[in-house]
Amino acid sequence: MEPITLALAKGRPAKSTIELLEKTGEHFVELHEDSRKLVFYNENQSMKVIFVKALDVPTYVEKGAADIGIVGKDNIMESQADVYELLDLKIGTCKFSVAGKPNHEIKNNQKLTIATKYPNVTKKHFQTKDQAIEIVKLNGSVELAPIIGLSDYIVDIVETGSTLKENGLVVLEDIENISTRLIVNKASFATKATEVQNFINQLKSAME
Amino acid sequence: MQRYVMDNNKNTNVKDFQIRDELIQSLKNRFSTYGYKQVRTSTFESYDMYSNIIGTVNKDEMIKVIDSSGKVLVLRPDVTIPLNRMTTLNGLHQDNQRVFYVLDVFRQSKEQADQKESTQAGVECFGNQSAETDSEIIMMAIHTLKDLGFRNFKLEVGHAGFFKELIQQTTLTSHQLDALQSLVHSKNSIEIEPFLTQLDIKEDVRKAIQSIPMLYGDPEVVMEQAKSIIQNESMQSILQNLIDIYELLKAYGEENSIVLNLGLINNMNYYSGVIFQGFVDSVGKPVLMGGRYDHLSEQFGQPNPAIGFAFEVDLLIHALQQQGLTNNLGAVADMIIQYDQEVQTEALRSAYLLRDYGYQVLTYSTSSDMINNNLEAKFTARFSSEAYLLYGQGTKQSFSNQEELMSLLQKEEL
Repeated sequence: MEPITLALAKGRPAKSTIELLEKTGEHFVELHEDSRKLVFYNENQSMKVIFVKALDVPTYVEKGAADIGIVGKDNIMESQADVYELLDLKIGTCKFSVAGKPNHEIKNNQKLTIATKYPNVTKKHFQTKDQAIEIVKLNGSVELAPIIGLSDYIVDIVETGSTLKENGLVVLEDIENISTRLIVNKASFATKATEVQNFINQLKSAME
Repeated sequence: MQRYVMDNNKNTNVKDFQIRDELIQSLKNRFSTYGYKQVRTSTFESYDMYSNIIGTVNKDEMIKVIDSSGKVLVLRPDVTIPLNRMTTLNGLHQDNQRVFYVLDVFRQSKEQADQKESTQAGVECFGNQSAETDSEIIMMAIHTLKDLGFRNFKLEVGHAGFFKELIQQTTLTSHQLDALQSLVHSKNSIEIEPFLTQLDIKEDVRKAIQSIPMLYGDPEVVMEQAKSIIQNESMQSILQNLIDIYELLKAYGEENSIVLNLGLINNMNYYSGVIFQGFVDSVGKPVLMGGRYDHLSEQFGQPNPAIGFAFEVDLLIHALQQQGLTNNLGAVADMIIQYDQEVQTEALRSAYLLRDYGYQVLTYSTSSDMINNNLEAKFTARFSSEAYLLYGQGTKQSFSNQEELMSLLQKEEL
């Protein structure tokens, strides 16, 4: 029997996911968030865990390189992967927001410049509002953009809001709530139905 | 000078082409056994035809060219539509026309800008509307997947009308409908409830839509669950249609290859009846898609009920390679003849005879440079001045002339 492959996001979110996995009763040898290893098996080799960059998790799952992925909604939305999104793990909660300088309400009928790490999410949000925008794609420290005049606003994930506050920005509009989700490859859902369902049920009972 | 090392064409070497060719041959053979005949459509199509027809290929994805008179043409973006048009206009559907095709289709997308062509192998059955036809088409898809050696595959069967009927009970804007469709499409049971609650929809309809994504799995179970969300008579008859098709697939003994997926929505809006897609191990996308489209032809002025499906040939090849099913495909030749210069005449005459019988034969003189290369064949015959020897899989036999070689080969049942 081929093992089912589970793709997890490296880095910050890994810790709480590993805790949840431990609770399902599946024990993965040597699995902890500080390990440099990228592939782990459980004791009876029926399950394989791989660690990949968070934004790549949906891609691995969409292409069938992993059957199941556990990753934040932000990365699922940005990658626009064609996968099933079956479970909310209720960890890593935050939200997508539009932020900018205080007393600087979002104007309509005028082209806006938005700096973001998430161009697809940004495009989609402003499209539904029929608002013309120009996107500046950045890879980090997005908060800097409005301060030095690179953009009018930013779109980013906001957890506590303290990074925004420290840089003198405020949330002007919320786009969507984010939390860690379980996604499944469409082919695996059909061809490995029993294994996938079993794992989902294990996770569900571990969350209770 | 710029060197073009990036090659966007997949499978361009000889062995890859052989694998592809044998795969296509196997599909063709299977389609023929169901009474289907091969056709082709023109590579250039009128852009106007596609832009006028509702619910087909995205206009941005089509590759346009302009001819000398200034008319806009597109490279064949789809096969179903021109075939349907041809059959409808010529009135051929009255004879229950069954056709298949193996053709390249051309589309461009922003995500995969370097992948503009793909090969589709598909079938269409025109002029007949019955559960028997539907189940036979689905059966043909299953049969073909079995031919190719896939051990673990599943066909998801749904119905285009089921979701549409539910939507008609509501008054959604096109933005809301898009959002709902993508929630159903990704079986997002987390967000679908809050999404529906904020809309003004009757309680029982809302519950029905909410349950659609999870109406998935064992057909017997799903059919039972689906009964509870039936809103009207046409949904009842849709469910009955699916039950009929399933019963017929049972008659073929292939009910285990099927799962029911009532949350299946196809991007092609022209589907009106049963829809299905096939999945195999280790490929994330469906390798085949199809369904019934009874109303497409009305845009050509006449009713012409039809059903069909198409395999994505490139995905099939990828799947075969992933699962190691291509090892027996694309062998170099049946026989290699190596000969010493003194017995060249006998060797070449033998090659002539073998080729006459249809064997693939390569001949090399032992004095040539090629002889040391790693050439692979099922058999090797060595003609030297001392002896003539035939090497098979682990066997070695001697022969004295071409007639004896022939009879040895026939015994080995090449």
